[in-house]
Amino acid sequence: MNKLIMGRYLPGDSLIYQLDPRGKFLLTFYFVGIVFFANNVASYVFLMAFVLFAVYLSKINFGFFIKGLRPIFWLILFTVLLQLFFTPSSHPIWHWGFLTLSKESMVIASYIFVRFVLIIFISTLLTLTTTPIEISDSIESILKPLKKVNFPVTQVALMLSIALRFVPLLVDETTKIMDAQRARGVDFGEGGLIKRIKSFVPILIPLFVSSFSIAYDLAIAMESRGYKDGEGRSKYRVLKWSKRDNVTVLVMLAVTIILLFIRSY
Amino acid sequence: MEKIISIKNLNYTYPDSKKPAINNLTVDIYKNEWLSIVGKNGSGKSTLTKLIDGLIDADSGTIEIDGQEINEKNIWEVRTKIGIVFQNPDHQFVGATVEDDVAFGLENQGMPREQMVKEVDHALELVGMHKFKKRDPQTLSGGQKQRVAIAGVLATRPQIIIMDESTSMLDPEGRRTVLNLIQELRQQQDLTIISITHDISETELSQRIVVLNDGQIVRDDIPRNIYDMGTDLSKYGLEEPFSDELMSTLRNSVELPESYLNEEELMKRLWKLRSNM
Repeated sequence: MNKLIMGRYLPGDSLIYQLDPRGKFLLTFYFVGIVFFANNVASYVFLMAFVLFAVYLSKINFGFFIKGLRPIFWLILFTVLLQLFFTPSSHPIWHWGFLTLSKESMVIASYIFVRFVLIIFISTLLTLTTTPIEISDSIESILKPLKKVNFPVTQVALMLSIALRFVPLLVDETTKIMDAQRARGVDFGEGGLIKRIKSFVPILIPLFVSSFSIAYDLAIAMESRGYKDGEGRSKYRVLKWSKRDNVTVLVMLAVTIILLFIRSY
Repeated sequence: MEKIISIKNLNYTYPDSKKPAINNLTVDIYKNEWLSIVGKNGSGKSTLTKLIDGLIDADSGTIEIDGQEINEKNIWEVRTKIGIVFQNPDHQFVGATVEDDVAFGLENQGMPREQMVKEVDHALELVGMHKFKKRDPQTLSGGQKQRVAIAGVLATRPQIIIMDESTSMLDPEGRRTVLNLIQELRQQQDLTIISITHDISETELSQRIVVLNDGQIVRDDIPRNIYDMGTDLSKYGLEEPFSDELMSTLRNSVELPESYLNEEELMKRLWKLRSNM
C-alpha cells in the first residue's frame, strides 16, 4: 500500500535529479501537451527517442518505467483494442459484424499505444526523481501569483506537505487496526463484493478516530512551536533555478520546434 | 535561586467535566533546576503543561514566566521561552526531513534563511543527530526521533524545556540516551527542565519531585525523600522505584541503610557485601 502512494521516489543524484523541481514539474506537463501534436511515424519515433534519452540521463533502471505501465495496463489494452476494431474504414482487411480491422486502424492503434507509453514514461520520470515534498514546494511556488487574490497559498502548501508526511503514518495505523480486527476474527479477503466493502467499516471508523487524535496532537505541537497562521514565516527549503534548468527549457523548445517541422499537416 | 516560573492559585476545569483538573495549585520553579512532576493518569500533569504554555486558558490564578505574567497579548513571546517535547514522536513531526522539522520553529519566527541553516546545524550537533540531517523521520528509531524533537525545540533557544512523557514510548536504551542528553544540555545551556512522567524511575536525574494527585500537589521534595515514601507512593497510583523495592525485600537478610539508594549505589553496596564474605 505504501508503495502505491509514496514509494515512487527513488533516491539518486543524476542530472535529472538535480534539476529544479518547478522546471521538471512544468516541463513534464508541457511535454504531455505536445505529445498530442505528433501525428506521423517520424514524430512519434522522435519523441520516443527524446524520452528514452531522458530516461538514460536519469540513470534509473529501465524496469522501473515498465513497472509504471503496469497499473494502467488494462486501460491501455482497452483503448488500443477499441481503436483497432472500431475505427471506421472504407478498405477493411477483416470484417465481422460491427468489428472492422483496417490498415488505418492498426496505425492509429499503435499511435495511441506509443502516446500512452510516452506519457507514462515521462511522468514516471518526474515522480521517480522528485520527492513528494519537492513537488509540493513546486506547487506552492507555481501558485504564488494567486496570493494577490487572497488565496492562502502558504497554508495550502503546508497542509499538502503535512498530508504527505502523514501518509506513511496512516498506512502504519491502518495495518495496525487491520491486525487488531483480524485478531478479533474479521476476515477481509472473503465473501462477495458487498461483504468485503462492509468488512472495511471496522477499519475506517477507528482510523478516522485515530487520525483526529493525531491531528489534535500535531496542532498542539505546532502551536507550542510558535506556528500562528502562516504569516511572517520564512522558508528553510529553497528552490534554486540554475543554468542547467535554462538548458533544459531550451532543449524542450528545440524538441517542440523539431516536432512541428516533422509532423504532417 | 532565581524563580523562572511562578504559579499561584491556579484552577482549571475541562468544559465537559465537573471535577477540576487543576485545583488551586501553587508552585515555584527555579532557574536551571530539573523538576519532575509525577502522578497517575488524570492527575493533571499534562493539563499543567498546557496551562504553562498558554495552550489552554486557566479559569483563575496566575502563571508568571521569567517575570512576565501570561496573558493574551504576550503569549507568543512567552512561548518562545518554552519548548515542549511531547509523548508520541510521530505526532509532533511537521517536516518531511530531519532538518526541515528542526527548522519549523525558526521558520515560525521568520528567521532569515542563512541564520536558520546555522541554527539547525548547531541544534542537530547538540543532540548528536547531525549525520541524519537529510533523513526521513520515519526511518529513525524512537529515541532518535525524540532527539530530533529536542533539537527542534533547542533551535529556538528556549529557557525552559518541558518533557511531557517524552520517554514513555521509548525502549530502555532510547530512554537512557534521551534522559542523559537532557541532563547534559541542562548543564551546558543553563536550561530549566520540567519532566512529566508517571514512571518514578525516570526521575532519578532530577533535583526535585512534585507529586500531583487530583490536580493538587501532595508532595514536593527532593527525590531521596520521595523514594523513601516506599509503598505510600501507591496511594497516588505510583510504583516505588525498583531499587527501593529490592532493598526492602533484602533488608530481611542483608544489612542496608534506611534511606534510598539509586541503582548504582545499591549495586556498589551489594558487591561490597559479597567481597566481605
